[in-house]
Amino acid sequence: MTEPVFSSALQTLMEEFSRSGVRELHVRSGDFEVYLSSDPAGSRSIAAAPAAAALRPAPAPVPVPVQARTSPTEVSQSAPPAASALPDDAIIVRAPNLGTFYRAPKPGAANYVEVGSTVSVGDEVCLIEVMKLFTAVRADASGKIYAVLATDGAMVEAGQPLFALVRN
Amino acid sequence: MAIKRLFIANRGEIALRIVRAAQALNIETVLAVSDPDRDSAAARLADRKIVIGPASAAKSYLAPRLIVHAAKESGCDGLHPGYGFLSERAILPTLCQAHGIAFVGPEPDVIDALGDKLRARAMAGAAGVPLVPGSDCVASAADARREGDRIGYPVLLKASAGGGGRGMVIANNADEAEAGFHRASAEAVAAFGDGTLFMERFVPEARHVEVQLMGDGKGNVLHFGERDCSVQRRYQKLVEEAPCAAMPDHLRKQLHESAVALAASVNYRNAGTCEFLFDVKRQEFYFIEVNARIQVEHPVSEMISGFDLVQEQIRVAGGADLSVTQDQVKLSGHAIECRINAEDVTRDFLPSPGRITRWQPPEGDGIRLDSHMAQGAMIPPFYDSMVGKLIVHGSDRADAIKRLSAALDEFVVEGVPTTIDLHREIVAHPDFIENRIHTRWLEQVLLPERAKRAA
Repeated sequence: MTEPVFSSALQTLMEEFSRSGVRELHVRSGDFEVYLSSDPAGSRSIAAAPAAAALRPAPAPVPVPVQARTSPTEVSQSAPPAASALPDDAIIVRAPNLGTFYRAPKPGAANYVEVGSTVSVGDEVCLIEVMKLFTAVRADASGKIYAVLATDGAMVEAGQPLFALVRN
Repeated sequence: MAIKRLFIANRGEIALRIVRAAQALNIETVLAVSDPDRDSAAARLADRKIVIGPASAAKSYLAPRLIVHAAKESGCDGLHPGYGFLSERAILPTLCQAHGIAFVGPEPDVIDALGDKLRARAMAGAAGVPLVPGSDCVASAADARREGDRIGYPVLLKASAGGGGRGMVIANNADEAEAGFHRASAEAVAAFGDGTLFMERFVPEARHVEVQLMGDGKGNVLHFGERDCSVQRRYQKLVEEAPCAAMPDHLRKQLHESAVALAASVNYRNAGTCEFLFDVKRQEFYFIEVNARIQVEHPVSEMISGFDLVQEQIRVAGGADLSVTQDQVKLSGHAIECRINAEDVTRDFLPSPGRITRWQPPEGDGIRLDSHMAQGAMIPPFYDSMVGKLIVHGSDRADAIKRLSAALDEFVVEGVPTTIDLHREIVAHPDFIENRIHTRWLEQVLLPERAKRAA
């Protein structure tokens, strides 16, 4: 996960950026690189994303409908398998915070993991984006991806299950 | 554009209050909740809830990016910040603006200007609002004597670099002002490395009065009368009432006009409150500050005006004109509110979260309870300890006190200690009944009496 100090410096940078009216900002220093864009159709991206906090142009927002007041239950998040279908020993990787769930490091790239992929502790499995700040989520156990429990590009809530792992 | 789907970035009773107000306006509601709040009363009533983060407020209710991200992704076109948390932080309306979301509050630059004490004071002065009589820099003991004579005693000598009471001296006459200068200046040098002082009139027995405002952002500002919030402990209000029965009508009119003039001078949009210190002895009032949000105690103004302030602030944020004119605002009767907290009064008001095992609220004519609590509900330990606000409305102050006293007697809460007993004592105290209270009355009179009885 991102270091808090680093993350707050980035937040400050983004605040200044959104206030400045500048459309694009690209900073490179050593192996650290940041790209900020206020263009919703932004097409540029950083070739090699830094591990902890990668920034990339925002994809088009995914509208999530609100249910009618007559059915006050929670909106079901996505199609993926119900928790009951998971093996008893499945390990759930959860969203550390609310944000948009991305399975790939950038648009068009291969997903970090697929069903059947083997992951080790610390491997990046997806990105969570909040206001253009991308945070990598890492596996906290080793095993094989059994199921993907959230929809790529959709908003996930804090603590929402993202992946189910089973031990090798 | 009228708001169609409102995001609510708050919790507790005010979140519930806002959900209800939005539903009355046929606006869909999306509520941000932290993990422990996912089953709150507001979460059950809202059309949708979104878990934005863990219990820690810094990672949930105080995280502007998470909040605006969730608002945008859930298709909201309006955002209500409630009170507390991010309600008076310019970053929230700034982010909302950048994402086409109408913020239920003032423009970010107005929030910033009003939040800065010196700028707010200058703006108030420019709008003709009375300020506490005071001095510029005081450079010598002779200056202190001269300024003290001019301002009128007692005066407060304050370090201009100061804060937290250090470098502060009260002087009751010219000799004390001279001696006080040497002492305060030395203290200020020791504490802040800067001995510069200024002086201000000191009001030993002041009342806290405030005017409820509503502006449309186009220069039109209404007032909904004033509130008296003089029952305080450590600057926290416990009891609020409307109107301020201790204020004569001619002063009341000036008070309202001052508050409206200040808000109009910045084209204020939203519900807001202009706070004043009322010097009863001198029959003068002075500006304190503006709160650029809906306040906890707004219900007392609603009770005497019959007007829903939360609905109005949502309409105004959507671009609507004010729905009434000043002539149509009719104030009647007297309303009193008690803030009920889960606190142990016998242990220095220790916050005491926990589960409510019995909840039996009072009911009846003229009684309103704004609360998110119920039997079995949990007060989590992560946030403030308010369990609700009991508000009564009567034909006059004496009638309101009678109703309040009966309502407090009926109110039963078990499982956690609450301040209900303390409120019963306040309402039954002769000083309160005869309206001889001031902002330090609770701490100087009632609480010491109570401690003496317990000893």
